[in-house]
Amino acid sequence: MLVFAASDKGGTGRSVTSANLAYRRALAGDDVCYLDFDFGSPTAAAVFDVPGALRGIEAGGLHTYLQGKVSEPERIDVWAETEHEVLRHRPTGSGNLVLLPGDRSGGEFAVGRDALRRCVDLLLRLNAEFDLVVVDLSAGRSYAVDMALEATSRPAMRGVEARWLVYHRWTRQHVIAAAGLVFGDRGIVAGGVDRGHDAERLRGAIRFVRAAVPDPESPLWSQVPPPQSAWMRKCDQDLDELAADLEAGFSMVLGSVPLEPVLQWREQLITDEDVLASKVANMETRQALEELAAKLTDHESWGAT
Amino acid sequence: MTATGDTGTAEPVCGEVRTCLLQTSLSLTASAAEELLRLREDERVRLSERPNLHAVSPDVLTGVDCRLPTGSGARVRAIGTVAARAVLTEGRVLQATAYFRAAGAGPEQRQPWGHYLVRPGVLEPFGGLPVRAVADGILAGTRQAGELDLGAVSERLLTAVLRHQLLDQRPPFKSRRTRLRWVALRTRDGQAPSIRRFTLAADGLRTVELRVPEEIAPAAVAGLCEDLALHDWLLTTLVRMVERSRPGSADGYAVVTALRPAVDHLLHLWMPRARVAGALSPLWEVLEREPGFTRQWQTLVQRIRDQLALQAIPLPREALTAR
Repeated sequence: MLVFAASDKGGTGRSVTSANLAYRRALAGDDVCYLDFDFGSPTAAAVFDVPGALRGIEAGGLHTYLQGKVSEPERIDVWAETEHEVLRHRPTGSGNLVLLPGDRSGGEFAVGRDALRRCVDLLLRLNAEFDLVVVDLSAGRSYAVDMALEATSRPAMRGVEARWLVYHRWTRQHVIAAAGLVFGDRGIVAGGVDRGHDAERLRGAIRFVRAAVPDPESPLWSQVPPPQSAWMRKCDQDLDELAADLEAGFSMVLGSVPLEPVLQWREQLITDEDVLASKVANMETRQALEELAAKLTDHESWGAT
Repeated sequence: MTATGDTGTAEPVCGEVRTCLLQTSLSLTASAAEELLRLREDERVRLSERPNLHAVSPDVLTGVDCRLPTGSGARVRAIGTVAARAVLTEGRVLQATAYFRAAGAGPEQRQPWGHYLVRPGVLEPFGGLPVRAVADGILAGTRQAGELDLGAVSERLLTAVLRHQLLDQRPPFKSRRTRLRWVALRTRDGQAPSIRRFTLAADGLRTVELRVPEEIAPAAVAGLCEDLALHDWLLTTLVRMVERSRPGSADGYAVVTALRPAVDHLLHLWMPRARVAGALSPLWEVLEREPGFTRQWQTLVQRIRDQLALQAIPLPREALTAR
C-alpha cells in the first residue's frame, strides 16, 4: 500500500510523524519503505538519524533517479545505518525499514513525461516489495503532489492501493489551509479529478491527521486557572466546529498526535526507550502514533465518507 | 562468425539477469504469457508446456558504444548490440536477461551500424580485449558513469513488461528482486564446463563465473544462468517468507496466513535443470553438492508442511497455551 503524506503548510510535523508511523509499522513486522519526495528540503534522513544523508545525499537520490541520471535510486537500510542508539538494535520479528533519500540540491522541478514514467515504475517496484510505502511530499500544492496524483492515475497503477494523509496543526489557520489543500479549487481532489481520478474514490482515500494538538483534559493543563481552562475548551470546541464545516471533521480524521516536545524539538523517532526508560516522551504520544499506524491499513477507518 | 584458433578461447559471454514475482494475483495462462512477452511484432514468443510452462520473448537489441567495466581500470571501448529477453516461468516468475558475447578483437575504428547489426548480441572492442579485466569488471559491484551497465538494460526490460495492462498489480505476497551477474569464459578443446565461483551479496546481488566450451551458444549460457537465478530467487523468497511467518509465535492463524502463498504460488516451481542445455547440466550437480540448493529447498518445504499440519490439528486448549 502507498501512503502519501501531504500538508498545506510547513511545520505540521508531517515528516517526523510519517517517519514515526513507518517505524511503528516496521516494528510490528511490516516491510516498510520511506521516500523523501520533499523536493524543497529533504530531511527525512535526519529523522531516522542516518549520517551522511542528513540534508539529503550528494547524488544518486530520488531527484537524480527521476531525472534519469541513475537507473535506481539509492537505498538506505535504516536498521543497519542509523546512528540512533536504540534503532541500531533491530528487534526480532521486525520488518525491513528502508529510506530512499532525496538529493541535497534537488529542489522543486517540473514533472515531465519521463520523470512521471520513472515515478510509476519506482512506485510499482516498491509496492511489489514492501507492505507499506510512505511517500513524504513537499508542503503545499507542490510538484510532488502533482506527480503523486498523476502517477496514481495511470492505468498501470490502478490495482495499487493508495491513501493520503493530510497533516495540519490544530489552529484556525491550519484547519482552513488543510481543508483548502484537499477540497479547494486547486486542491488534491480537484487536481485528481483533472487527471482522471474518480472524485468519490479519491475523497475516500484521504484523511486528515491533526498534529501538535493540546488536549485540554491532559494533566499538563490541570493546574491552569479555571477561566483559562474554560477558554481552552471553548477554542477546542470552536475548532471542531470549524473543521466539521470545512468537511475536515471527525469522519475525515484518521487521528491526532498530541503536542509533544520530543516531536517538536528533537524531530526524531519516538522509541519505547524514550517513553519507558528515559521518559522524555509521553505515553499518550506513543499511543497516538501506534493507533495511527494501525489505522493506516484498518478497513473501518477508510472508505467513502 | 565462428571464431577460429586461439582467439575463440578469448570470447567471453557476459550477462545480468533480474528475477521477480510477476505482479498479478493469479498466474498467467500460456496464452496470456504469450501476449505479455510479445515484445516484437516480427518474432514469436517461444512457448513450452513440458515439464513446466515456460515462455521466452524474442531478443530485443540495444545498440551500445561505450566503455566496458574493467577490474584493472583499463579503458576498453566497445561497440555493438546487447541482446535482452524476458522469460516467464509457470506464469508466475518473471526474469529479464541482458547479455552479449565479446569478440576477442575488433577493428581499430568505428564501422557503419550495418556491420554491428548483422552481429546481434555481439560487442566488438577497439583492438584487443583484456578478457580477465573485463570479466572482473562485469562481476564487480559498482559501475562508473559511462560504462556499460547490463543491469540497466535488463531492468528497463523488466519494468516495461511489469507495466503491462494484463497485470493487476495485486501480487499474493511481497517479495524482492534479485540480480545475478554472470561471466562465462570459454574453455579450450574438450574441457568440461565448470563453475569457478558463485557468490551471494547482501543486497540481492549474486555473481557467477563459469567456464563453458566455445561451441555452446550464448543463449544457452543465458538459459543456464536464468535457471540458476530462478532457483536462487525461489530459495531467497521462501527463506524470507518462512522467517516472516514467525513459526513458534503464539498466533497460529497468522502463521498459516503467512505461509499459504508459498503453497499456492511457489512450491510447485522448483525444477532445477528443466531448461538447461544438456552439456551444461552437470554444472547444476556442483551446486547441488555445495551449497546444496535442493537440500535447502526440501528442508524449507518440509518445515512449511509441518507448520501447516501442526495448525490443522485441533489441540486441547492447554497444549496450545502451555509455553
